[in-house]
Amino acid sequence: MSEVLLEVKNLKKHFPIRKGFIRRTAGYVRAVDGIDLTVYAGETLGVVGESGCGKSTMGRSLLRLVEPTSGQIHFQGKDIMKLSKSQMRDMRREMQIVFQDPYASLNPRYTIGQTLSEPMEIHHLHNSTARKQRVQSMLERVGLDPSYSSRFPHEFSGGQRQRIGIARALVLNPKLMILDEPVAALDVSVQSQVINLLEDLQQDFNLTYIFVAHDLSVVKHISNRILVMYLGRMMELASSNDLFADPLHPYTRALLSAVPIPNPRVKRERIILQGDLPSPANPPKGCVFHTRCPLAQDVCREKVPEWREAKHNHMVACHLV
Amino acid sequence: MANSVLNVESLNVEFNMEGNYFHAVRDVSFKIEPGETLGLVGESGCGKSVTSLALVRLLTQSARVTGKIEYQGKNLLDLPERDMRDIRGNEISMIFQEPMTSLNPVYKIGAQISETLLLHKDISPREAFQQSLEMLKKVGIPRPEDIMDEYPHQLSGGMRQRIMIAIAMACNPKLLIADEPTTALDVTIQAQILELMKGISKDLGTSILLITHDLGVVAEMCDRVAVMYAGQIVEQGSVDDIFFNPQHPYTRGLLNAIPKIDAEQKQRLQPIEGNVPPITRMPKGCRFSPRCMHASDRCRAQQPGFFQVDNAEHLSRCWLNEAKEA
Ligand SMILES: Nc1ncnc2c1ncn2[C@@H]1O[C@H](COP(=O)(O)OP(=O)(O)OP(=O)(O)O)[C@@H](O)[C@H]1O
Ligand SMILES: Nc1ncnc2c1ncn2[C@@H]1O[C@H](COP(=O)(O)OP(=O)(O)OP(=O)(O)O)[C@@H](O)[C@H]1O
Ligand code: SF4
Ligand SMILES: [Mg+2]
Ligand SMILES: [Mg+2]
Repeated sequence: MSEVLLEVKNLKKHFPIRKGFIRRTAGYVRAVDGIDLTVYAGETLGVVGESGCGKSTMGRSLLRLVEPTSGQIHFQGKDIMKLSKSQMRDMRREMQIVFQDPYASLNPRYTIGQTLSEPMEIHHLHNSTARKQRVQSMLERVGLDPSYSSRFPHEFSGGQRQRIGIARALVLNPKLMILDEPVAALDVSVQSQVINLLEDLQQDFNLTYIFVAHDLSVVKHISNRILVMYLGRMMELASSNDLFADPLHPYTRALLSAVPIPNPRVKRERIILQGDLPSPANPPKGCVFHTRCPLAQDVCREKVPEWREAKHNHMVACHLV
Repeated sequence: MANSVLNVESLNVEFNMEGNYFHAVRDVSFKIEPGETLGLVGESGCGKSVTSLALVRLLTQSARVTGKIEYQGKNLLDLPERDMRDIRGNEISMIFQEPMTSLNPVYKIGAQISETLLLHKDISPREAFQQSLEMLKKVGIPRPEDIMDEYPHQLSGGMRQRIMIAIAMACNPKLLIADEPTTALDVTIQAQILELMKGISKDLGTSILLITHDLGVVAEMCDRVAVMYAGQIVEQGSVDDIFFNPQHPYTRGLLNAIPKIDAEQKQRLQPIEGNVPPITRMPKGCRFSPRCMHASDRCRAQQPGFFQVDNAEHLSRCWLNEAKEA
């Protein structure tokens, strides 16, 4: 495999729950609760899991946009947890994030040109003519007319705004892009345009993607490897093909069996999970999935399953695998 | 068929915008047979919700609705509001996308289900309470006795959607209109809700009009499908017709644009270029022509009507089907 770009060890983010008049801490939301990951240069790592399982928090923690509670993050061999605020800001030239809601993440009072120039100004890159040129070429590269640089966000459709968000992330020429539900708000026809664009850009600029989404068909399509999360923990990690061909974790199996397939002749055995997601403020003991797991045994209720390689390059955390 | 549950003919909905009327729904016709699930699919803004709201007459005053919505020999558009109120929530009930906005936050769950029953049925509050509890059990709510006494905000999204289904099904309706009932939910919860809806329609023979933009949900749930684009139905047919013999370029475009989860090998997606037009700027001729790769001069000038494809039920609104029909 190619070189390691990002190495994450035991990453945790616990948000304090504050109560009462003096805002004392009454407990913690364990949004991310122990993530170990290696991300290789040039790959796309997909991250899936139900709403609230900590996907976005993990993505933001990796850039220290939310400060991790504990853990280690090495980016290109550098321990970024040790960086000062301003060093971290410089580091983010190489690590960019694109959010789900393309509208909320664009400043409505900035023209598109200003929006795209701003990151370069912050990092004191290029003179103003060169910045303008770069803005124009980036717009062109994401399939927008360069003349759009004088327009404002409200003049654009959802798909166009998402292209603008992607262009903004790209102007600094990053190595790693964290894409947090980049196509969730888009209609299928526009969604497919943006997915194709992301694939082309990855080729052209040698980008590494962490692609967060809840649509498993999209994640399978775009990812080389996929991480399945549940309540802030890792359940399974494998190559995209292997995960779909041979899901090992009972949660992954249920998740995959729940995806409706656009083919009326495919009849599948569906694993219906009972109940709702437990609160991450009070996660179940033992295996966090045991309250909804159709296979749970006594050991699952008592002991946290170990994260281990069950097959070649196929990691899983389950007592019964 | 004479005994369709609902027979919609040439439904038009226009909105008054700054003095002018614009069509959001134009010349829409379809039938729903007893016990069947009809899917209404299409991208955002193509008129799915406006159509469903028109059926139960819940559109705003600024809307002008014409055509025929035949239900049990009557045109719903001609009924006095009082009669419509008897039908709505009783014989024809609705579930909407956002369960939080459709439940009343200040009433307990039990009271909300009972209210529907008391409104439409001649029963005592006690009986209504009992039947409400039964409904909660039917839709698989855990601890139903406790939940009767709780408020909507205390429940998860999936539970709220099940409560909505309980309310919608309380009076044993002939037709359930479900507008994106699972779009806001996670796949595992979506699977629970779809399973529940399937069971209900099978056990009680309820017909369902299922509105969604998810072709996977359509394939799984529907007997027949109507594909909407820019306020019109552009193709309709059995679920097999639509998935295995799609005719209209828009239907084909939708099917090619989605990633195939069961594909062995990765294929590049084929997007439909462009966007759904706003109702104020509908293109002339075929409404899909600006985005259609087969569009001819005739397509850009002249609206196609419906042409029959391979069977009487399979219709496509595309000039390319004219030749095939003849
Ligand atoms: N700033 C915050 N303060 C307190 N709790 C938070 C904060 N941000 C997130 N959380 C909680 O952390 C958990 C994980 O949230 P996160 O947004 O990471 O989930 P997600 O997997 O991205 O979900 P979704 O699919 O809905 O986007 C949730 O329970 C959420 O309520
Ligand atoms: N009250 C209204 N006044 C004016 N235009 C309206 C009104 N309600 C809806 N429209 C317009 O009618 C068209 C159809 O809207 P509708 O809500 O039916 O779309 P939809 O197919 O349900 O989309 P979605 O998938 O996003 O729910 C849209 O262009 C919308 O902007
Ligand atoms: S009528 Fe013409 S423009 Fe419309 S869908 Fe058919 S080929 Fe395309
Ligand atoms: Mg998120
Ligand atoms: Mg709608």
